[in-house]
Amino acid sequence: MSASAHSPGPATSTAPNGARRKLSTKQKLLLAAGVWLGGIVVLAAIYGVKGHRNNAFEPQNEFKLDNWVNLGIFSINKAVLYLVLAAVATCVSMIYIARRMQARPNKVQAAVEVLFSLMRDNITGSAMDEKMAAKWFPFIGALFLFIMFSNLIGYIPLPTNTEHEISVFGLSIPSFSLYAATANLAVPLVLALVVFFSYTFEGVRAKGPIGYLRGLIPGGVTGGMAVAIFFLEVLSNLMRILSLTIRLFANILAGHLIILFMAGALAVILGITALGWFTLPFGIALFAFEVGLVAALQAFIFATLTAIYLGGAVAEDH
Amino acid sequence: MHIAFITFLAAATEETAKAGKSIGLGVGGGLGAVGAGVGIGIIFGKAIEAITRQPEMRDEITQLQWLGFALTEACFFYGLVAGLLAAFIV
Repeated sequence: MSASAHSPGPATSTAPNGARRKLSTKQKLLLAAGVWLGGIVVLAAIYGVKGHRNNAFEPQNEFKLDNWVNLGIFSINKAVLYLVLAAVATCVSMIYIARRMQARPNKVQAAVEVLFSLMRDNITGSAMDEKMAAKWFPFIGALFLFIMFSNLIGYIPLPTNTEHEISVFGLSIPSFSLYAATANLAVPLVLALVVFFSYTFEGVRAKGPIGYLRGLIPGGVTGGMAVAIFFLEVLSNLMRILSLTIRLFANILAGHLIILFMAGALAVILGITALGWFTLPFGIALFAFEVGLVAALQAFIFATLTAIYLGGAVAEDH
Repeated sequence: MHIAFITFLAAATEETAKAGKSIGLGVGGGLGAVGAGVGIGIIFGKAIEAITRQPEMRDEITQLQWLGFALTEACFFYGLVAGLLAAFIV
């Protein structure tokens, strides 16, 4: 009684009408949960909960690289296609937008400008001085965009799975699959090696070979301790290649694997139909998480660490 | 008697190797997830604390928070990769 006395009159009179015509958020959520749970029960009732193991389906084939074109020791395969797509996307997005700059930006230009200022001010600018930032910004920016685009293209289903073919109106095309070039160990490894050699050369150029190696030892450490620290620092420099590689590779690979399993592979392997319906919402949520956060975040981390390593290589005091 | 015992032992060794691989994967993935989970929790908690203390530094703190998040999350993947190596390759 007292609660209704406090609430204003018009709100209480319109609320029930609105609720009858349109479902509230809570009701929509309850309905979705009901459909989901009901689907599990119905599928379990029809197909049973005991399936037999399916050994014919091999999930690792999603990541298998078939040679499409043989070029001696090189070959063109799925990963090469994804790399080319990412490179084209990187160049086109930046050059096309730069050519059509307007004083009043539209939405795409605004987004690109945000990306640009993120790359220039936050990633590059915060790790090195102005002159060096101007010199290395194109490298770090290209690295960031290339990794981000190859991650993002990986979440678009493309007809690249030549292992299995589907026929559309009598035309046989490769089935659609999710694959990212960065989910292949070689691609992040090469990127990490490029980064390693860039910052080593930059450091050697700034301080000379002896100076660079001496710069690895933190100031104030002398004698026998300096030798031990020196070897540790050399080792940690080499470990940077490994950590850059594995961070990017394993993040993207694990993301693709978990999307694959949640979106149905688990149900196919175990042969339980209801399980596929059960895991589908998790698959969609993880897909959104990977596209929305992980793809850009990993590119950001890779570029930020590159900038920090480059800045650290030329810094006077370690 | 002896032959039966040897075949039993051989079968047991194979089963043990399988069990060891499964344990490797479980420890690599599971303990890796535990450590990274604790670390990520600490990072976000500290970031919230820092932002509530100094809201004007929000942007800088957010950037550092994501950097820390990704570096910590990577540790989970090191464990996972080691576990996968143990289970499928070694």
